[in-house]
Amino acid sequence: MRHQIELDALRAPEMLEPIEKCVHCGFCLAACPTYDLLGEEMDSPRGRIYLMKNVLEARIEADEAQPYIDRCLGCMACVPACPSGVEYGDLLVSYRALQEAERSRSLTDAVTRKLVCETLPYPQRFRLAIRGGKIGRAFATLLPDAFGAMLSLLPESLPAPMPLPAVLPAVGERRGKVGLLLGCAQQVLAPAISHAAAHVLAANGIEVHIPRGQSCCGSILLHVGAEDQARQLARGNFPLMPDDIDAIITTAAGCGSGMNDYELLFKGEADAERARAFSRLVMDFSAYLASIGLRPPPGFAEERVVAYQDACHLLHAQGHQAEPRALLRQVPNLRLVNIADAGMCCGSAGTYNIDQPSIAAELGKRKVAAILAAEPDVIVSGNIGCITQMRAHLNFVGDDRPVMHLAQLLHQAYSEGD
Amino acid sequence: MNANVPASIGELQALVKAHDRIHVVGNGSKPALHHGAGDAALAGAGGFCGIIEYQPQEFTLTAGAGTPVSVIAAELKRHGQYLPFDPLLPNSSTIGGTVAANLSGARRYRYGGIRDFILGARVVDGLGRAFRVGGKVVKNAAGFDLSKFLVGSLGHYAIMTELTFKVFPEPPQHRALRLRYAALPDILDAVYYLNQNIYELDALEFAPADAGWSLLLCLAGFEDTLPSRILALQESLRADTAGLDGGEGDDVNAAWQPLAGLTGDYLVKVALAPKQIPGLDARVSHLKRRYSIGGNLAWVATDDLKMLDALLLEQGLRGLCIRGAASSPLLGMPLEVSLAARVKQVLDPMNKFV
Amino acid sequence: MNHPFIQALQQIYPAERLLTRDVQLLPYESDGLTAFQTKPGAVALPVDEDEIISTVRLCHQMEVPFVARGSGTSLSGGSLPIADGLIIGLNRMNRIKRIDPRGRIAVVEPGVINLHITHAVEPYGLYYAPDPSSQSICTIGGNIAFNSGGAHCLKYGMTSNHVLGMKVVLADGTVTQFGSESLDGVGIGPDLVGLFVGSEGLFGIALEITLRLMPAPQLYRTVLAAYDNLGRAGDAVSMVVASGLLPGAMEIMDRLSIKAAEAAVAAGYPPDAEALLIVELEGEALQVEAEFAQLQGVIEESGAFEVRVAQSEEERARIWKGRKSAFSAVGRLSPDFIVQDGVVPRSRLGEALQEIDAIKSKYGLDVANVFHAGDGNLHPLILYDGREAGALERAEALAGEILAMCVDLGGSITGEHGIGMEKRDYMPAMFSDQELEIMMALRRAIDPKEIANRGKMFPGVEAPALQQHGLHPLEKQGVISRE
Repeated sequence: MRHQIELDALRAPEMLEPIEKCVHCGFCLAACPTYDLLGEEMDSPRGRIYLMKNVLEARIEADEAQPYIDRCLGCMACVPACPSGVEYGDLLVSYRALQEAERSRSLTDAVTRKLVCETLPYPQRFRLAIRGGKIGRAFATLLPDAFGAMLSLLPESLPAPMPLPAVLPAVGERRGKVGLLLGCAQQVLAPAISHAAAHVLAANGIEVHIPRGQSCCGSILLHVGAEDQARQLARGNFPLMPDDIDAIITTAAGCGSGMNDYELLFKGEADAERARAFSRLVMDFSAYLASIGLRPPPGFAEERVVAYQDACHLLHAQGHQAEPRALLRQVPNLRLVNIADAGMCCGSAGTYNIDQPSIAAELGKRKVAAILAAEPDVIVSGNIGCITQMRAHLNFVGDDRPVMHLAQLLHQAYSEGD
Repeated sequence: MNANVPASIGELQALVKAHDRIHVVGNGSKPALHHGAGDAALAGAGGFCGIIEYQPQEFTLTAGAGTPVSVIAAELKRHGQYLPFDPLLPNSSTIGGTVAANLSGARRYRYGGIRDFILGARVVDGLGRAFRVGGKVVKNAAGFDLSKFLVGSLGHYAIMTELTFKVFPEPPQHRALRLRYAALPDILDAVYYLNQNIYELDALEFAPADAGWSLLLCLAGFEDTLPSRILALQESLRADTAGLDGGEGDDVNAAWQPLAGLTGDYLVKVALAPKQIPGLDARVSHLKRRYSIGGNLAWVATDDLKMLDALLLEQGLRGLCIRGAASSPLLGMPLEVSLAARVKQVLDPMNKFV
Repeated sequence: MNHPFIQALQQIYPAERLLTRDVQLLPYESDGLTAFQTKPGAVALPVDEDEIISTVRLCHQMEVPFVARGSGTSLSGGSLPIADGLIIGLNRMNRIKRIDPRGRIAVVEPGVINLHITHAVEPYGLYYAPDPSSQSICTIGGNIAFNSGGAHCLKYGMTSNHVLGMKVVLADGTVTQFGSESLDGVGIGPDLVGLFVGSEGLFGIALEITLRLMPAPQLYRTVLAAYDNLGRAGDAVSMVVASGLLPGAMEIMDRLSIKAAEAAVAAGYPPDAEALLIVELEGEALQVEAEFAQLQGVIEESGAFEVRVAQSEEERARIWKGRKSAFSAVGRLSPDFIVQDGVVPRSRLGEALQEIDAIKSKYGLDVANVFHAGDGNLHPLILYDGREAGALERAEALAGEILAMCVDLGGSITGEHGIGMEKRDYMPAMFSDQELEIMMALRRAIDPKEIANRGKMFPGVEAPALQQHGLHPLEKQGVISRE
């Protein structure tokens, strides 16, 4: 599309290229969860690009457009659907960062956002916040929607921490050496994920380094447009990883895709090169394991029917459709079933649950219906957010079948045969 | 019938301008369409006869509306092609009459009817204007598609002088299969079974027979694969439907002649869906009848047109009488009027064409 | 927009389904053709038939023009809004009301997405045949308005050939019904379905549509042949036709479009091909295999330097994905482009391509060619950079010359995208004044106030024109004149 936007040179490429490349063909509409739900042009990727363009051209006020931009899940399903190669994610992240500075928010909005930015990335604070949430839940009905959503997703009680050693040695022949990122909220909500991932990697002959003092990778902040804070946190991890590792492993899809964007985040910063080097090493747990080749686990004694739910940031943002499935297919006595509309977001999408509770809830409801139709024994995903969302929505319909991370299921597949 | 036979478009325009009521006739092969014409001036189509343009490579053929279907078919055959909508009366009708009455034969089942193969036409309307509708290439999306509107229009809106069609290569070989079923429900089940199966049939017809019902199928294709295809079809029908006996026969021509043996004063085409057949058939079981194009069209022969008219109305069906002294060829449910009337208002505001 | 009209709309629609703020209206100002932008006065999002009927009647009564819009993918500006007019967004009219697998029909609302029908009937071994490139998102209502085609038209026709019956509201508020569930469609009486389909939204809005379904082919054989020049690929098409084969699809892509599609979806096309021919056979396995053997012989003789046959459904899907992405993929090669849509007699394809080559060098612009070779339907994509002064004008002039050439060769100015906004000024190249007058009279007989999709199809000044300067390209060539 043609445009009349003038931007400073730093921002220009990421924001203008997508707008220029977009030919308004509408192919992205088919992939967009909010368009599917709401059926309005403003709630489609094409519509949002058009709105962003109009804001940047000063044809409309940013505040006017903001509700529609905010409704974007950032699931990136539109990116692979786009024949013109529009990097919607680059535009969205840059736009959000640009607008964040000038944005006026309602009090509730501002408080929620502050809470998110100041707690989620910091395990200690998050743990405290959840304790607070437990008390606050009683008052949930009196609070605005956003708080209600936040509280309803919090677990009843926090699991006990599962500490890992600084180095977990490889089992058998050593095939590689990696660093493992523990994640921020994940450490608090589901420490079992990193624990399982470390052990599965070790069982595959990988020496796993788990540096102490890790910080949040900044992805969740990048997602909400808090760039400075995101950079500040990301930097904390740079010096921690050993020099001679093959990969930096993450078990959270959103973190992986966020770290892939470090080049954009650190553009023009003094340590841009350092960030790029770090970013290049980052690999999702499933992609790394598939790349080295799985050591066949003993598998399960009885057949286990597994539904794999794609995390948007693995499927759309990183293109890992085949790898997790390939791993699962190698587990003896495991039957993989397909979920209808597998590429459709479950509604978790980072902080979306908190920002857009009603849409998130509708998407969660649909996702759970599709999952149940496939009749799995267990549901597996590659992202803590998706796991939490599916758990919550299964609970709403009174279903208690297990939802777990791919690493956890693989860990079971190795341990059950022991 | 003593018709004026204009030799040119100019003469036809003059004829239209000179008369208040005009009725078009081709070869008169469907006499029932002409009884209601009364004292209207008859315009014969014979002056617009002959193939105007035929490019086998293009899959297109343009001919005068008064061209006998047999002439067109013969020319196409010389180039290994055919009219896939399968004109119903290949030996007696003109191409214009076939379009005006929308009369397709059994082989229409494979690729579609006249509406699916008409590309364009030249016409003279009730104001004596001569003009072109549609186009001459196999694909065209410019302007309103009045050429399709002419299909089934019975000459009531404009007189066709020239028609352009899409044509197809004719498959090299045909084979037929005839199976006997005990009753209509069995045969309909077989039709439904075939509807959801992969067989690409050239024709699918059924009619009551000596004992029970007879299902006639036709396959087209290459000589070396036809025997195995027909065998597979036969086996699956035997295994999955209630077919009693029968088999491959020399029945291709029988499969292609839906009107054979339909004796009676009046012959009526009824447009319907297969699911409407049981309701209709129960009431016409004393009449000669045949269900064509997979049960999407019925041919009923009767001596009592009034009865059939009332019956079709009752069942929400429409019929077109093509044989017999009918005062009006249209039976059963009245035609749509809202949209058609607007076209009439534009093309024939003085109601000249009857 | 005028207040009494909005107030009347508020009686029909709850606030969340009546869009009136700028921020809500701007995203509707273009469809798939961004050369035109017009902000509508309001957007209404009906959820049932009654709301549509009431809305059309209200528009008729208050003389407010309206445009029915599905997913807004028209490449001819067919769903471009009318300034201060109403957009009736049919996206929420997306129910598949009934599937009758035994009768092979589906009854759907106009907002149903083309591909969703195939998904819904797949379990019964059926599919909905028309496959425009945008089938993953375009709606049946839009397909009907523009008689959309696709890659498989030669054998099975366009949208019109797959609609058996419909219920519609005409532009003056009259509700009527025609056609049936019979394969014979209208069957008796003039074919009103055939007239309504392709009327570009000028007659009214389809409320309920009965579609014909087809049995999913038992076997596909999809052949990809690479050539070192475009003419040779064109000749191959003639050879296939001359051999008596009737493939479901025959598509050609030239070097530029191959490059774009490859970049977009990594279709695995041979990288050094000047032209690609895709031929697809489908049907009963035994018959297809026999046809395939014959096709292989023809392709072998046609001088292809590489021939690939899709070995799996995935490979077939990838070949088609590349082809179907080609238009939008060109967005990777050029900041702006015009998608053209013209038809020439198939036997003159080679001539047409040479002519396009000559025209483009004259204008110094690049043209990518993608076309449905089986039915002579060309889609030249004219690349230009809108930021360059005069580039758009040159691109338009080039497009005009291509269309003039199509008419000269005995073809058409549109095969499947329709006239819409884009080509209304080219109508006089195809139709005489009298023919145009008759069509306009028909439109007025149905829509006396000319409110339905006002400004489309007919040359005129009632809607905003593309930024045109001076004479129209066809006028410059003396093909049309306004005298």
